[in-house]
Amino acid sequence: MKKIFAVALGILTAIGGFLDIGDIVTNAVVGSRFGLSLAWVVVVGVIGICVFAQMSGRVAAVSGRATFEIIRERLGPRAALANLIASFLINLMTLTAEIGGIALALQLASSVHYLLWVPLAAIAVWLVIWRVRFTTMENVAGLVGLALIGFAVALFLLGPDWETLGRQVLHHGLPDTEKATTYWFYAVALFGAAMTPYEVFFFSSGAVEEGWTTKDLAQSRMNVLVGFPLGGILSLSIAACAAVVLLPQAIAVTSLSQVVLPVVEAGGKLLLAVIIVGVVAATFGAALETTLSAGYTLAQFNGWSWGKFRRPAQAARFHLTMIICVIVGLGVLLTGVDPIKVTELSVVFSAVALPLTYLPILIIANDPQYMGEHVNGSAMNVVGMAYLVVIVVASLAAIPLLLITGAGS
Amino acid sequence: MTLPEPADTAAVASRLLDARLHLLDRQVLDCDKVPVTTVDDLELSEIPEGPLDADTPAPTITAMLSGSFRFTRIFGGRPPMSRLDRVPWSDLAEIGSALRLYTPRSRLEVGWLEGWLAAHVIGKIPGGRDDPQ
Repeated sequence: MKKIFAVALGILTAIGGFLDIGDIVTNAVVGSRFGLSLAWVVVVGVIGICVFAQMSGRVAAVSGRATFEIIRERLGPRAALANLIASFLINLMTLTAEIGGIALALQLASSVHYLLWVPLAAIAVWLVIWRVRFTTMENVAGLVGLALIGFAVALFLLGPDWETLGRQVLHHGLPDTEKATTYWFYAVALFGAAMTPYEVFFFSSGAVEEGWTTKDLAQSRMNVLVGFPLGGILSLSIAACAAVVLLPQAIAVTSLSQVVLPVVEAGGKLLLAVIIVGVVAATFGAALETTLSAGYTLAQFNGWSWGKFRRPAQAARFHLTMIICVIVGLGVLLTGVDPIKVTELSVVFSAVALPLTYLPILIIANDPQYMGEHVNGSAMNVVGMAYLVVIVVASLAAIPLLLITGAGS
Repeated sequence: MTLPEPADTAAVASRLLDARLHLLDRQVLDCDKVPVTTVDDLELSEIPEGPLDADTPAPTITAMLSGSFRFTRIFGGRPPMSRLDRVPWSDLAEIGSALRLYTPRSRLEVGWLEGWLAAHVIGKIPGGRDDPQ
């Protein structure tokens, strides 16, 4: 019974924790402009993150080494430093976007301007990291984030023409107003939103935080293989809501209030309230994860002591890094830069940086000196290699597409 | 990692270590498994200058270096002469997926910044010394 409870809790947390501001915004933007014609990318991205998270979690559980320790060890100091700079900056951008997302959601709830919420959100994020136990933090954010199921409920309440939605999924026809390059730009953005590198830094370091061993591998596989796809379904229902309500009215999403417009239409204020709770929890959870990831990556590259399971004074540089990162994110937001724009850029750059973190993990997952009997099986390697190709192509295409399309505008 | 545990001296001699793969850039843990540093470079025993005689003994690893030695590996140049960031090879207890030492962190020269920040910054913030569990 206890075991079933643990499995259920893990899965629910994974569902709720899957979405962040990048997923929410990108799916709504794509749904409002392309309907469900990019739904296939979400599927590809979700399978990708399952493969990636599963491998890095397994490496961490078996060897006790988290992702960036491995990157440093396998790439050597030069390439790893370049990787660190790229990963760290992108993570910082995502962190900024998440704190902005919390503030935007609170603005929706309160009609108080989001810039007034930003400092409070930043302080709250730091306080939770400073004081709250790792598992408590993870479970609460994940479970409350389940409120985002409201998007799926909204979709049913809207009573859409399922046949039209199905046609959008199967026929990747472009709306007349959109160019093919824009379509592919958003394909890369959606892929980056689903496969954000911080998720993997966090997942593997979290395995060390929670002291996973090989005994926990089955549980972790369940969390990933069931929780993430269900989270992906929530992503798709956000896109579908936008496709049903916003696409016909030619409203292109540029703000969080437009993201939740279909919810208001379907379920009124009550459902909106549920969704806002979900968005706050999801962005808050992701803000915690990205802040911790900033500490994890820098500490692991340098061999510093890290982890929330230690007293802060026993991981001083780790905690100082996180404090500085939250302050930097806060500073960026206070310049008045649009958090939604930061979000849209962060998912594209996530796609750019992905091969840098993916390849070392794929190599180590095949190294018997590290993994013993838990090396990748041949089926896993076929999938892993296929995704290496997809990830490299998306990474190479991202910046040219960004420039050609002017960030999708 | 599962490098075979050396059963006797013969096994030690036959155990193949690749400096780049198994030592450099590896995480170093102290005797309580607390991360201390990474191996940024290795220090070898003195090699005489000029042409070497046939009976010159082979150099041995004397220490693991870290900190400022990282920059010379990334950017090249002469390593700094200070020996602050040095862990003697004799402290090494185990070579695994991380390198484990016999000594506690407090007795090592590396990571002085960690100690300073713990004492003067992070430890000063309320709750900085509380056990999170």
